[in-house]
Amino acid sequence: MKGALALCAALFCALPFAGLPAFYESFLYLLLHAIVLATSWNLLSGYSGYFSFGHGAFFGIGVYTTAALAGRLGWPFLWTLPLAALAAAALGAGLGAVVFRVRALRGELFALLTLAITFVLATVALNTVDGGPGIQVMVDVPKITPTASGFLYLLMLGAAALTLWTAYAMAHSRFGTGLFAIRDDEDVAEVMGVPTYRFKLAAFAISCALAGLAGGIHAIFVSYVTVAETFSIALAVNVVLMSALGGTRHWLGPAVGAVAITVLLYAFTGGEAAVIGRALSGLILIIVIVAMPEGILGQILKRFRRRELPRSARKGSEVSVQITTRALGEPLLVVQGLTKAFKGVQALAGANLEVRRGEILGLVGPNGSGKSTLINLVSGHYRADGGSIRFEGRELAGIPAHRIARAGIARTYQIPRPFPQLTVLQNVALPPMFGQVVMDRAAAAREAWRWLEFTNLGDKANSYPGELNLHQRKFLELARALAARPKLIFLDEVLSGLTPLEMDGALRLIRAIREQGASVVFVEHVMRAVMELADRVVVLTYGRAIAAGMPLDVMRHPEVVSAYLGAAHV
Amino acid sequence: MYEVSNVRVNYGAAAAVSDVNLRIDAGELVVVLGPNGAGKSTLVNAMAGLHAVEAGRLAVDGHDITRSPPHRFCDRGIAIVPEGRRLFANLSVRENLELGSYRAEARRARTESMERVCALFPVLAERLGAPAGALSGGQQQMVAIGRALMARPRFLLLDEPSLGLSPMVVHELFRAIRQVNAEGMAVLLVEQNVAMALELARRAYVLDEGRIAAEGLPSELVGRDDIRRAYLGTK
Repeated sequence: MKGALALCAALFCALPFAGLPAFYESFLYLLLHAIVLATSWNLLSGYSGYFSFGHGAFFGIGVYTTAALAGRLGWPFLWTLPLAALAAAALGAGLGAVVFRVRALRGELFALLTLAITFVLATVALNTVDGGPGIQVMVDVPKITPTASGFLYLLMLGAAALTLWTAYAMAHSRFGTGLFAIRDDEDVAEVMGVPTYRFKLAAFAISCALAGLAGGIHAIFVSYVTVAETFSIALAVNVVLMSALGGTRHWLGPAVGAVAITVLLYAFTGGEAAVIGRALSGLILIIVIVAMPEGILGQILKRFRRRELPRSARKGSEVSVQITTRALGEPLLVVQGLTKAFKGVQALAGANLEVRRGEILGLVGPNGSGKSTLINLVSGHYRADGGSIRFEGRELAGIPAHRIARAGIARTYQIPRPFPQLTVLQNVALPPMFGQVVMDRAAAAREAWRWLEFTNLGDKANSYPGELNLHQRKFLELARALAARPKLIFLDEVLSGLTPLEMDGALRLIRAIREQGASVVFVEHVMRAVMELADRVVVLTYGRAIAAGMPLDVMRHPEVVSAYLGAAHV
Repeated sequence: MYEVSNVRVNYGAAAAVSDVNLRIDAGELVVVLGPNGAGKSTLVNAMAGLHAVEAGRLAVDGHDITRSPPHRFCDRGIAIVPEGRRLFANLSVRENLELGSYRAEARRARTESMERVCALFPVLAERLGAPAGALSGGQQQMVAIGRALMARPRFLLLDEPSLGLSPMVVHELFRAIRQVNAEGMAVLLVEQNVAMALELARRAYVLDEGRIAAEGLPSELVGRDDIRRAYLGTK
C-alpha cells in the first residue's frame, strides 16, 4: 500500500519533466485545483453539515492576497502563499466566532450568510486593492521545471496532497468524529462532551486556509485577476456539486466528484461539441444525483459496510469496576430553587432535588410537570433562568454542556436522539472520546463494545439507528450514556413500553449500573419500576417537588395520589 | 369486519410478520400483546396501509384492500394513531384535528366531530388555539386520538397509546377508548399495559416473533400458565 502510494507520488512529480504538451499540464493543474477546493470545502460543510456557499470568497481572499503582494508590491510570490492561507483562515475564524455562537444560524441561514459574504468581499476588493481594472500578476517562477505551468502544477500537487492528507487525518481522529456528530445532531453532540463551538471554528479555519492557499497559487496561474472572475458564485456552486456528486460523508468523496466533473467538462471542448457536451454533462449529473443520493463513493462504500469487524476488535475492554472511595450517601448533586420558563409557560418554578452518591432515585410526576426540563437544565441542554445546580460541590449553572459531560454527568433522551448517520457502534463510541478520561478511537471502540454487550445490542453494532425498533433505540440511548462512564446518569423513560418480562431484565440492568459506582436518576411512569428500583422517590408537579422519601411512603402521600396517581397505587 | 389473512410483512429484508390471521368484528375491541420486536407495530402499520404487505390478504367487509394506497384504507373507515403521535407540532390543536377530517364525507361532519372530540377530552376544548407542540405528552396523545376520530372511522387502530404517560392520564385515555368503543367503533389496541388492556378487551392476540402465538378471550389467556409466564408477566 505504502509502496504504491510512493510510486504514484513519484509518477505525479515526474510529469512536468516528461515533455507533455502544455495543455495536459494545465488540465492536470485544473484537476488538482478542483480537488483542493472541493475537499477543503468538505472539511467544514461535509463533515459538520454547515453548508457554505461562500467558498469562493475565501478562495478569492487568497487570490487577492497574492495578487496584491506579489503583483503590486513585488514580494517573492512563494512567501505570499502562507499569507494567502492565513488571511483566508483569519476571515473564516472571525466570521465563525460570531456566527457559530448563535444557535439559530444553522442550515439554510448559514448557507445564505456565507453567500452574502461573497458579495460583500467582492465589493470590498473591487473598491480597495483592485480599483476596477483588475491586477496583473507577472512573477518569475523558479526554473525547476521545463515550463512555468509545470511548476504551478507541482505547487498545486503539493496543495492537493496536503488537503487530502488533512481530510484523511481529520476523518480518522476524535476531531472528525466530533464533527460528524455535530452534523447529525449538534445539541446532542454537545451534551455528549463534544466542544462544538471550538470544533466548528477550527474546521472552518482549516477549510478556509486551504482554499486561500489554492487561491494564492491560482493568482499566478491566471496571471491577471479580476473581481468578477474571482468572487464568483459559480465556483461555490461547482464545489458543492462536486462534493455532493462524490459523497460528502467520506474524506475522498469530494476528490472523486472533482475529477468526475472536471473530466466531463473537458471531454467536450471546442465548437459544436461544447454545447452538446455541457447539456450532456448536466444530464449525467442529474441522473447520478438522483440515483446515488449519497454520492458515487458513498454508494460504493454502502455495499461494503456490512463487512463484519474482526473478532479481536469485538472484545470488550476489561471491566474495571469503579468503586467510589467516598462514602455512599453524601450529596452528589444538589439542585436548589431552579426556575425555567418557555414562552411564558413556567416549566420549573423553584425545583429542589438532592441526589446522593450511590443511590437510585426515581423522579415521577404528571406529564408536563417539568421532569424532562430538569434533566435538560442539569445536562446543560438549556440554560436555567434562576437557581443553582451544584455537582460535587461545583456550580454547573451556565457552564457549557460539553464541560458538564466531562464532569461526569450523562443522560438519555426520552424520544431517542441517536446520530442517524453513524452506526450503532460509532454512536456509543463517541462519548468515551470526549468524557472524563479522553480515549483514542480504538480504546473508545473497545469501550463501546462492552456497553453494547451490556445492553444486548452487540449484534446490531454495524446497523444504523434507523434500522432499530423503538425499544432498541432506547437501549442505544442507554449504552451511549453509560459509555461515558458517568458518575451520575439521568434515564428519561428508558423503561416505558417494555413487557413485564422485558422489564425484569431492564431492572437488573439498572441495578448493575449502580453496582459499577454510578448514581442513577430515572424518570418513569411505570409504577412497578419505580417501586422496585428506587431507593428514594421525588415527585414533581407544576415545576416543584411536592414530596420526597421512600417509595411506599411517597406513593401513599395524599397530595401525590390526587395529583399524579389518580387512585392509590398500593 | 376487518379481516387479515395469512399476511406476511417484511421489515428491511427480513419478515417481521408472517402468516398472521386476525380479525376485528364490527364494534369489537381487540388487543394485541407481545414482546418488543414481535412485529406489533409493523402489523398495525400494514393494516393501516402504511407498510406494504408481502403476501396474504387484507379485507374490509369482503373488499380486498391489500394493494390499495393508504387513502383507500381511510375510505374504508380505517384510522390509525401511530406510535409516537406524529402531530404537526407548529399547528394549533384545532388545525391538527381538522386535518383529520380531510375526506369529503368526514369534512361535512367536521363540526359535529369536533364537538364529539371535545366532549371526549374536555381538556382539549380549552386548548384548541395552542400549538400542539406546547401540550403535555398526555394531551398530545389525546390530540392524536382526536385527529383519528375526526376521520369518523369504523376501525380505530391504536399503537401503544399509553407509552410514556402518567398513571392518571392513562386512566383517562382508557376511559375514552372504552367510551368510543361503547358508541360502536371497533378498536384494535396494541399495548404493553397488559393488565389494563385485558380488562378492556373482548378478545386478545399474542404476537411473538412475527407470528400469532395465542388468541382467545382474555380470561382464557390469563388462565393458561405458559402464556401468562411468557408474555403477560402477571403472577
